[in-house]
Amino acid sequence: MEAVKEALQEGRPVAYFPYGEGALLLVERRRSLEAFSLGQGRRLPSLAGEFPSLDWFERTLWERGLELVGHPGLRPLRRHDLPYAFREFPHLHEVPVGPVHAGIIEPGHFRFSVLGERILNLEIRLGYQHRGLLRIMLGKGPEAALLLAERAGGEPVAHALAFAEACERALGIEAPPRAQYLRRAALELERAFGHLGHLAGLFTDIGYAYGATQVGRIRALLQGEVDRLTGHRYGRNFIRVGGVWREGGPDLEALSRYQKELDWLLPRLLKHPQVLDRMRYVGVVRRVEALALGFVGPTARASGVERDLRQDDALYPAFVPAVRQGGDVLSRAQVYAEEALQALEYAQRFLRQRAEGPLAVEAEAGDGEGMARVEAGRGEVFWFVRLEEGRVAQAEGVDPSFKNWRALELAVRGEGLPDFPLCNKSFDLSYAGNDL
Amino acid sequence: MSLLRTLRIGVLARALEEILKVPSHAFGYPLLQPKGLSQKAREGLVKVCPSGAFVEEEGIFSLDLARCVGCGRCALAYPEAVGEMKTLEVAVVRREDLVQRVDLAAQAFLDPGPPPPPRPELRLPTLAFREVSAGDTGLSDSEIALLGNPFNDMGRFGFQVVASPRHADALLVTGPVSRNMAEALERTYQAMPEPKGVVAVGNEAIAGGVFAESQEVWAGVDKVVPVDVYVPGDPPRPGAILHGLLLLTGRVVQRLVGGVVR
Repeated sequence: MEAVKEALQEGRPVAYFPYGEGALLLVERRRSLEAFSLGQGRRLPSLAGEFPSLDWFERTLWERGLELVGHPGLRPLRRHDLPYAFREFPHLHEVPVGPVHAGIIEPGHFRFSVLGERILNLEIRLGYQHRGLLRIMLGKGPEAALLLAERAGGEPVAHALAFAEACERALGIEAPPRAQYLRRAALELERAFGHLGHLAGLFTDIGYAYGATQVGRIRALLQGEVDRLTGHRYGRNFIRVGGVWREGGPDLEALSRYQKELDWLLPRLLKHPQVLDRMRYVGVVRRVEALALGFVGPTARASGVERDLRQDDALYPAFVPAVRQGGDVLSRAQVYAEEALQALEYAQRFLRQRAEGPLAVEAEAGDGEGMARVEAGRGEVFWFVRLEEGRVAQAEGVDPSFKNWRALELAVRGEGLPDFPLCNKSFDLSYAGNDL
Repeated sequence: MSLLRTLRIGVLARALEEILKVPSHAFGYPLLQPKGLSQKAREGLVKVCPSGAFVEEEGIFSLDLARCVGCGRCALAYPEAVGEMKTLEVAVVRREDLVQRVDLAAQAFLDPGPPPPPRPELRLPTLAFREVSAGDTGLSDSEIALLGNPFNDMGRFGFQVVASPRHADALLVTGPVSRNMAEALERTYQAMPEPKGVVAVGNEAIAGGVFAESQEVWAGVDKVVPVDVYVPGDPPRPGAILHGLLLLTGRVVQRLVGGVVR
């Protein structure tokens, strides 16, 4: 137990799921992964009181029938058939929002406790997108299960890639180099596409129509290139276990043109007085909070946490992550802008570098266990899979949003209620990804 | 010519016929070729489809477009048995019009007869709609949002998103309807004034898609609220959704009958 605590003190939980008799906790410390087997039978000691980054993981384990001894406040995360009590604050006014929102957005329920306009506490209740995805994967072959993994969160390429790599490790195969480059190209295009969407959304939310339209225009054009590469507007049906299904031909010149245009446009947009006025010092997540709660992706990097899984990927030599120190909405917007440009650069590089050779190796049905992590636009995607007789016997996925949702609770604390949509958009979390 | 076009529809916006086209590099919707459906091809198709869209039963081979994930593996492996429909005019008012049924003895499509017309009370010059995401991954929602961008510009066809169901003529629903969202969906529908229409956007909303077997979903919007128009796709491209809205308001005729463009 001491070793676990030491690892958690310096590191960050990556995944925590039922495994064998008890549960398996994976912790990243100093850029390497450490695994701990915890619990006896269905009983686990709760560590969430000491390490709040484990709170949602433990709530999920509890929902799945494990007993968490000593957890400070167990509440369901996805199951709505279990009782749920909101925190009550006497003398404060409560503002309930959702699950159906005013715009076009996934469902979730937010309970604000406000004093006047000021938010003193936000409690998030999710689970509306729960589709039992992990359960229906059981008994399926890797290809059919991959269809479900592609639908786990809002980033199909990243999820498909992590799931395919987990299966490949379980089967002891490796995708050929050409497929590796094409997969990464799709991943980077997905990142650029997603980040531009976040930026356009942020500009919309502050009423900066020029910024929203310009970024939205390039984003729509970029989506055409994703479509050309993968045959799907969001990159589904592209990655398979053992490689990729096809090789489309995106327009490299167009990609370089969008990059140049954004290179000119984004810094100017982000310096506009209206943008600075509404985004600077708003929705701050401090570095110490990001570390303690184990945030990942741009959310963590905008708060000064210098970690990006691409640092460990041989295909990205000498990778330098985009980092900002402010932790506010503006810092996150700056990270999105920088990463979008960087992603376009890498996508072109991978498309030019793709080697000759087959697009995939055939995967024989087999047994084994494998796990993989991929840096998606929103942060770290994790998949674990255990195959028995060529069928999925256990699958566990963690979307970056699962780790980042509580950043929103912190960011809006002390802000005015009307700033909530802006703060929410600045993290752009996946509801479905959380509700697996 | 181009100046006239620019003046008429704007600089970025595309003409309706452009929006309703599948781009040349992408796979459209699969179309069975009755003459090419040999025993071997049929067995192969059932095997190659990752989402179980092909079914053979009592001499009838069928393809459910609402189960297709659009990967195109069927057309690649058996080009003699599966062709392609390159149109986004695929919205229908009748669920069975999304299923292609081939009578193997006669080597011909079964024709379910003319579809019912859209409801006349929804023949509106403009249409305000509310969107509810009920277990969708977020991509169908994203496509609906993109209908408003300068390329598609749904506003020029009279369509707009509204924040409250009280202001809405139509409800667009995405996702297989998770159990946890069913009540919220039903209450949103109840809050809308009459006359009101419902469009199920995407395969998951039509029949659950790849989530159909899950205990945690209802597998179809019509299990919870009545549906007027079904838009197949995974997710449907913005053009297909636009066609669904035009069909709901009676401004286009349904093209897909018995799963085949007629």
